[in-house]
Amino acid sequence: MAAADSPSATLRRRDLCSRGIRLAGKMRSDVIDLLDTYVERQGLDASASVAAVEGVPAAAVERWDEQTGTQRLLENLAAYRAFRALLAQMLEEQREQLGEADAALGRALAAVLLQVSAFTYHLEELLRLESRGPPSEEGAGPPPPLHLGLFERKLRGLGVLRELAQWAVRSARDLRQLAKTSLGSSSAPSLAESP
Amino acid sequence: DSHIQYERVGADVTMKCGSMDWDAAVTWTANGTDIDESHLNGSYLILKNVDLTQSGQYSCYEGSSWHLKYQTYLRVGTPPKEPVLMCRSNNYPKGFYCSWHLPTPTYIPNSFNISVIHGTREMVCEKDVFPKNRCHIRYLQLFSTVKYKVTLTVTNALGKNSTTVTFDEFAIVKPDPPESVVAKPVPNNPRRLEVSWQNPSSWPDPESFPLKFFLRYRPLILEQWQHVELSDGTSHTITDAYAGKEYIIQVATKDNDIGTWSDWSVAVHATPWTEEPKHLTTEAQVAETTSTSTSSFMPPPTTKICDKGAVVGSGAVAVCWTAGLVLAAYGVLFI
Repeated sequence: MAAADSPSATLRRRDLCSRGIRLAGKMRSDVIDLLDTYVERQGLDASASVAAVEGVPAAAVERWDEQTGTQRLLENLAAYRAFRALLAQMLEEQREQLGEADAALGRALAAVLLQVSAFTYHLEELLRLESRGPPSEEGAGPPPPLHLGLFERKLRGLGVLRELAQWAVRSARDLRQLAKTSLGSSSAPSLAESP
Repeated sequence: DSHIQYERVGADVTMKCGSMDWDAAVTWTANGTDIDESHLNGSYLILKNVDLTQSGQYSCYEGSSWHLKYQTYLRVGTPPKEPVLMCRSNNYPKGFYCSWHLPTPTYIPNSFNISVIHGTREMVCEKDVFPKNRCHIRYLQLFSTVKYKVTLTVTNALGKNSTTVTFDEFAIVKPDPPESVVAKPVPNNPRRLEVSWQNPSSWPDPESFPLKFFLRYRPLILEQWQHVELSDGTSHTITDAYAGKEYIIQVATKDNDIGTWSDWSVAVHATPWTEEPKHLTTEAQVAETTSTSTSSFMPPPTTKICDKGAVVGSGAVAVCWTAGLVLAAYGVLFI
């Protein structure tokens, strides 16, 4: 494996970052379209307020500008692995609930799930370049089946997609920060503090 | 003793002369001018249906001694109407500001109190020194789905009013317009204009939070704008300009991912490069312009007025100039 600061590693990292940024942009756009479809097909109110959903990684972060490159990658990776499992669960539930009646929603969910998987791969590769390697997924089995009623499950799905849309924006920013800093994840770039 | 008294427009105001009895002989003045007795009920001053012009200093003097017994400053005004409040982030991701104003003046002093709540957390919005009706707040969290709730309360001596706005972090992001927009003709290219600009200086980190741009341009003589969206870079070459026409050009910007477009930048004007018309300053050059002209800016060939043979000294040159100008003016009319 190339040393973390070798020219080939730098190029690979830059390539992964720029592809990742594009993928995050596409993912966000697709998730927003999916949100519209989901809200409509599930008969929800688009402005419904969803409280923080258990098991859904929140994109909100304090002192974002002070995070190191490694922290960014690890937090992103944990989040997208969780989304991968959550979306798979939603897809399963959606098939059970509506059968083949709503193939469009199922297809849209599957497409986003694919992008989430692809993005997860990008993050794992970037971590490998950091000479850290991605953490294993042991113990991270599928999320436990929730004993929620149908309506609660729909609201939960809304929460998942909304949070994923936020993450897609955050991830693009994280990757840009990553591309900006030199290799060597201990450096923590920070924006000037003046208001 | 002296104090301030606030009353609503249209109210009826009764002023007592301090501790003087109702039947005491007094004189009231408004801003130093005696008030007619018809406004008095005993020693009380009665002002009915007050209006803004009646604001001022009212003084009461004891009848014969002219001792000042009471003084008050009457301020006529209105309670506040619902204020107008808006919040915006032009320096994302640092923070945002909120600014407010009253739709109609109250004519008396108002105080403003603003509260910002994010989820369960109350945040402090620091008031700006200038402009006065503005405060700014730093983001403690980024990428939050939890909405912000901002409530502004306006209070004055006659009443209070308030308004609330709710928004999420991304929705209020609106950069300032691009700066230093410059448009220049491109030498030897009659249909091109080169436009360049800079990121707004208030945008703190364009590298991590890149901006995209929207250019619009039209010749002054037309109403329809042409639009170009640019995902990066701070320059663009217009290649379809109408030859010789003056253009007006503006640029707007937006964060690549979130928020709304800025206002349009200051407009710049530019005209594409045109070929220089041949000069008419010397007889030799005038004599040459007899047959063909390829450009619409070439004035029609001169006539016998500036004929070589007819030239005699500087007076004739002036005639040639005048003739040339007249013909050039004709040429412009036909464009």
